[in-house]
Amino acid sequence: MNEAQVWLEKMRALELPGRVKIMNVCGGHERSITQAGLRGVLPANVELVPGPGCPVCVCPEEDIYQAIQLALVDKVILVAFGDMLRVPVNVPKGEIRSLVEAQAAGADVRPIASPTEARKIALDNPGKPVVFFAAGFETTTAPVAAAIAEGLSDNLSILLSGRLTWPAVAMLLDSGTPGFDALVAPGHVATIMGPEEWQFVVDRHHLPTAVAGFLPESLLAAFYSVLRQFVDGKHFLDNCYLEVAHPSGNPTAQRLLAKTLDVVDANWRGIGIIPNSGYALKPEYAAWDARRIYPDHADPKRRRIGEMPPGCDCAKVVLGKIYPNQCRLYGKACTPRNPVGPCMVSDEGACRIWWSSGVREAETATEQPDF
Amino acid sequence: MCLAIPMQIEAIEGYLARCQAKGVWRDVSLFMMQDEMPKVGDYVMVHVGYAIQTMTEAEARSSWELFDELLCETDVPPEHA
Repeated sequence: MNEAQVWLEKMRALELPGRVKIMNVCGGHERSITQAGLRGVLPANVELVPGPGCPVCVCPEEDIYQAIQLALVDKVILVAFGDMLRVPVNVPKGEIRSLVEAQAAGADVRPIASPTEARKIALDNPGKPVVFFAAGFETTTAPVAAAIAEGLSDNLSILLSGRLTWPAVAMLLDSGTPGFDALVAPGHVATIMGPEEWQFVVDRHHLPTAVAGFLPESLLAAFYSVLRQFVDGKHFLDNCYLEVAHPSGNPTAQRLLAKTLDVVDANWRGIGIIPNSGYALKPEYAAWDARRIYPDHADPKRRRIGEMPPGCDCAKVVLGKIYPNQCRLYGKACTPRNPVGPCMVSDEGACRIWWSSGVREAETATEQPDF
Repeated sequence: MCLAIPMQIEAIEGYLARCQAKGVWRDVSLFMMQDEMPKVGDYVMVHVGYAIQTMTEAEARSSWELFDELLCETDVPPEHA
């Protein structure tokens, strides 16, 4: 019997009192779960709910609009992680609605895979302003902080849309209808920030919690841990990713974050402001902060500012209120090749992950979780 | 975006490490590893060009096997090379 089978056998031996919903808050987790088909092998009354785990999906629509304008109007070299390029904003038909469309219209928009590439592009183009549009959770924002601390050239600035993961989970839990009974915490966020960051879920909300890695074995170990905690009624923070998510996390990364960035109230697309859930450059780095350097191109007359596109249920998908294929547009108006909402664009979006794994049937929301 | 890949360090110069995973080489920043600098031969978890933690060879190898499966199963081509 291999390790995965051992965890499955142990789970099947548990006497669950009823339906148990386990939320994950990481696109990487959702991808591993879906690709490995873990939903199909767990006990029937265990549900795995993808929650707020996609930074591109919650990146404010206003920020994407601003990035498009910086490329078109201010004629900067706009660099961003590739995920960001195809996310549409709400503009009338015929207007440029994504960074990739701005690129097609002649703007200098370049996909990058690392903050080090942004630094190199700026060094290679000394006479041109370069803006790095950086969305991401702690795991991605820490390398951005590292790049800032290492030193940026004068022509490079950052349009930062960094977010913290735990405040969105805290918001769901404080809402009174979180929609889950146990949490699997994100392994690489815990690698940076330390697993202890998730202790509040146990202490304040009395829910079973386990940090998981990205192999099916680690995820299954975490599912068993939280189910066992649920059955025993003894809740604690378990760590099923000990090999990489060390106690207290990565001290260098935390120091670089604290040195360069402030934690601020931040807007989540389709959700609203969540207190202390975003990162902003500290005032001493203002010379590299694109929000301070460039004019705000917000157009108050623009319709549906900040909202998800018409008919798109991404906001409910992100919060785990519905499953991807319960969205009205899933697989019909919205597919990876012609995405409407950000959850179908990003590799970490639950809709994109489900579609890529072959889930084609839309489902009416009759099996919708109780909210 | 949060996808991280284990790589083995083959050379280090300052904070820059030449790393390899399954025949693919990348320059990786060790700037976030200053409190626990890895050495040549070590395995690190790499995310957006930065090493975020060290790991064992066994853990690295099992992650690589998973990525092989994921890459085979993805039906949508990547956005860019």
